[in-house]
Amino acid sequence: MRKSNLDEMQEQALLKIEHNGFWLAFWGLLASMAIQALLGVAFSSLLGEWIIFMVLCVYAVVSCLRHGLWDRNLKPNLKTNLLVSIVPGLAVGVFDMLLFRAKETEPLDYLLIGAIPAIITFALCFGALTICTALYKKRREKLDQESN
Amino acid sequence: MGKNLAVKSARAARDMTQKQLADAVGVSRQTINAIEQGEYNPTIRLCRAICRALGKTLDELFGEDDEQ
Repeated sequence: MRKSNLDEMQEQALLKIEHNGFWLAFWGLLASMAIQALLGVAFSSLLGEWIIFMVLCVYAVVSCLRHGLWDRNLKPNLKTNLLVSIVPGLAVGVFDMLLFRAKETEPLDYLLIGAIPAIITFALCFGALTICTALYKKRREKLDQESN
Repeated sequence: MGKNLAVKSARAARDMTQKQLADAVGVSRQTINAIEQGEYNPTIRLCRAICRALGKTLDELFGEDDEQ
């Protein structure tokens, strides 16, 4: 392994900076894409940001699962997955209502425009979380067995 | 985390500066200062290196009684 110029405390400080940089990029890209979409920018113009965002997401999920890591505070169970999936569902619902607010005037249309993507997002998130939970538990078990 | 006065006094007893101790254990002076100020919790590897450099045991420098 290449010798580091940093001592252990500096290494921790650098890791913290890189950690903050990761989340800055994550939320920055998400906010940037959401704002541009609200301003009517075509999806094709957001493709680059979207690809980088997805690479970030896939990298984070795959790395965490490979190391048998879940969230610091949340437990990988059905109840938590259901509750957590509501957040992106609601966010997408509100976002879509805002996105199409100029085109639709009927209150029922607004509700449908918001509700359908919200339900789909909720279902997709819940499905993804359920799969990840199963993979995490399997991986955790394997790592624990290897440690013995 | 309280200040680590044991490290500071052991270093002073050997008439070493923070820089000299830092060079002896292969870290920066800032790291030694952070350990003495109780701002950084070193790994066991660094604890042992500091103990060797100051001729003390882990208990003497990093034992629970030294946490203030």
